[in-house]
Amino acid sequence: MPLIHLTRRSFLTCMGAATASGLMSEVVLAGAQSENRLVVILLRGAMDGLDVIRPLGDPDYAGLRPRILEETPDGIPLDGRFALHPALADLLPLWQAGEFAFAHALALPYRAGRSHFIGQDALEHGSGRADGALGPARDGWLNRALTLIPGADGRTGLSVGQERLLIMEGDAPAGHWFPVEENLLSAQGRRLLDILHEQDPLTGPIYAEAMNLASAGGSGKVLREAEMYSVLGQELARQLLGPARIAAFSLNGWDTHQRQGHHLGQRLPLLAQVILSLRAGLGAAWGKTLVLTLTEFGRTARENGTAGTDHGTGGAMLAAGGVLRGGRAFGAWPGLAEANLLDRRDLMPTDDLRRYPAHALRALFGLDRSQLETVVFPGLDLGSDPGFIL
Amino acid sequence: MTPLAQIRFGYGPSASDGEAPSPIGPAALLAQISQPDQGAVAYERPGLAERFRLAEEHTADTRRRRKENDTSPRPPDAPGTVMKEIFRADQLAFVLRPVAARHGFAERLANFWANRLTVGMVGSGGLFIEPFRHDVARAHLAGRYEDMLRTALWHPAMLLYLDQNRSIGPQSNLGQRKGLGLNENLAREFLELHSMGTGYDQTDVTELARLMAGMKHDRDGPGIRSAAVEPGTKRILGQRFGDDDPMAEINRMVAMVAARPETARSVAQRLATHFISDTPPEDLVAQLTRSYLDEGGYLPALYRVLLDHPAAWAPTLSKLRSPQEYVAACLRALGLTGQETALPGLHRRQGFRLPEVMLRMGQPIFRPRGPDGWPETAEDWLTAPMMAARIDFAVDAARAGAEGADPTAVAERVLGPLASPTLRFAIQGAEQRWEGVAVLLGSPEFMRR
Repeated sequence: MPLIHLTRRSFLTCMGAATASGLMSEVVLAGAQSENRLVVILLRGAMDGLDVIRPLGDPDYAGLRPRILEETPDGIPLDGRFALHPALADLLPLWQAGEFAFAHALALPYRAGRSHFIGQDALEHGSGRADGALGPARDGWLNRALTLIPGADGRTGLSVGQERLLIMEGDAPAGHWFPVEENLLSAQGRRLLDILHEQDPLTGPIYAEAMNLASAGGSGKVLREAEMYSVLGQELARQLLGPARIAAFSLNGWDTHQRQGHHLGQRLPLLAQVILSLRAGLGAAWGKTLVLTLTEFGRTARENGTAGTDHGTGGAMLAAGGVLRGGRAFGAWPGLAEANLLDRRDLMPTDDLRRYPAHALRALFGLDRSQLETVVFPGLDLGSDPGFIL
Repeated sequence: MTPLAQIRFGYGPSASDGEAPSPIGPAALLAQISQPDQGAVAYERPGLAERFRLAEEHTADTRRRRKENDTSPRPPDAPGTVMKEIFRADQLAFVLRPVAARHGFAERLANFWANRLTVGMVGSGGLFIEPFRHDVARAHLAGRYEDMLRTALWHPAMLLYLDQNRSIGPQSNLGQRKGLGLNENLAREFLELHSMGTGYDQTDVTELARLMAGMKHDRDGPGIRSAAVEPGTKRILGQRFGDDDPMAEINRMVAMVAARPETARSVAQRLATHFISDTPPEDLVAQLTRSYLDEGGYLPALYRVLLDHPAAWAPTLSKLRSPQEYVAACLRALGLTGQETALPGLHRRQGFRLPEVMLRMGQPIFRPRGPDGWPETAEDWLTAPMMAARIDFAVDAARAGAEGADPTAVAERVLGPLASPTLRFAIQGAEQRWEGVAVLLGSPEFMRR
């Protein structure tokens, strides 16, 4: 579910609360750790990489996608082969500045099915198994990375959203917030509850945090979704200018079995919005920031009967940030000729999706090869550096 | 009158029960588990047989529509539509049944066992979850653990949830022909989460997976897919299996595991943790373990030990209510059903929006984080967003259901002498009556049991 029922008032003060409670004042501690920043956006539902970054130069592409291309023709040329979906036009300046890139034909080792549920868990856990199964700790790879980053503490990692994100769950303490709905209690009622919880060692501290999320200020109008994501980007940027270094949130709505043109036309601008507002909010720190979008798998090469696509395998990762060596395509392109497809239906994966975040953790936070191959992504062959970080 | 039994061993006193709750002791609580609950009759849900039938009809209907290129909207009585409606009602019943239940202890036990032997959504499919809760937890909570364990292992919801359907003996006909193999998921969780927890190793898991390959449960009931059965003997926990009929061998294995001291200890620990304390007294756990072993896993004997222990009646409320328990307790306190729509402050059509409320509190219905089920300890329910969701619900429930209520009387009913002087003072200090009730429901005392 997207971030609905959000009021500007509660949202802004949520951020304010983080400031007031001292999260941003601990410059000294923050200075002990890397200045680099990593933001992972989970695109739940399996984004169709083949539509978002269109291989128009591949001779088989147009024939596989007649109705989708009829509904949303062309694309903005990026290089001789690939073009950007028109709804992502706002990101073109980033591509030109070398701050946007993509890698096609990536997949998790998960092959035993094409289940969102298993795929998303496998993605967030970093599972290396073909059945997508989780290891005994059932934790997330970002959390395992946090345990290895020198100087990291409970404020370094932050998951944003209504539900906890598996990717940030585990032994390392990490922050979790979500802007809550407007509270209807009067100031007097609120004060009475304050008194009761203050005396309680178990609920007291959490209650105080919760009320800070909800306390008064601002206009209280429900934000339109687009505006909301831009606020999310700006405010997340403020957290990243404080002690937070690694953040994750999810952006849903990519399961485009039908009317894909319509749905991507709605979702892609939100994605652009959140990236651009992060960039604006971070200012100079954008130069030390990497944003990765990860999705559980790709979608079928051929469109289906309802102008959409079904669950596939090889998918695309998008990347943005000043620390990126962007403006270019990464990954080996397997081609779309029928013989080159997996099961004659999906884009053939040419690389393990997990290698990219692994190399990002290595470049940004100094994790070494053996830590990445045994702790963060057990069983991963880190391989050679794809060279996507400056 | 202290409503301690209703709070600690039920879903809290209900305003629908009458003026004040009558005192309940161990004997009355135990009697609940063998009596039908008149309050819950409205939440009896369709069983496995009907759901298998609907699923088959839906498959046939889908096939026919595809064949005939039929794209007309499905009628309201189409099997697919009926299935969706059943599932929606199943999810609501997760909260609404505890609200309506009169036998709070039996209801809590049903939810406890269904959580210990968890199943959850696989993809969008959750049609078998509610039958699992009935067939496994409700049907066996007054019986022996071995029977509950066996029913859970063979249940179609479990076979699906933990991938047993996909586990094929590598040396079986099917395995040889198609190059398929074992999936250890259920074998592992059976030993780790459902029974022993310790005292076995990876070899036992693999051998158990070999024994379990081919388990199935279709409309004809539990059975074996012979083509997937792994030939040869298996050695599990030092005992030899696999020389006899596969189904009988699997059930013999369940009996062996259910009788293990590790299983006794694990059941005892979880039961005491759920009802008594996040860190239960060691002598209670030891007594429960002994009772399990002495009585062959007969569960009412354990309940008796639990209810006879002094910790069961300690006046300090130390456990935090889970979101389900908290939502139900709030609604019961005000005599609401949870299905109201036309009350002040509620969404006009969707009312309390309980599935969303549960999600925000951290307990999305039928979507546990993993096969270990919902947590039994307070800290897992205490994050700022989850707490904010509790306060929001307390406010919503009070605004909707306590317009003319006397906050002091509500406090007397739901907590009685357990309400602290500070809480009594705070309730009376509110500017409006409903706000006094909101303060009561949002207080740390009401969040506990």
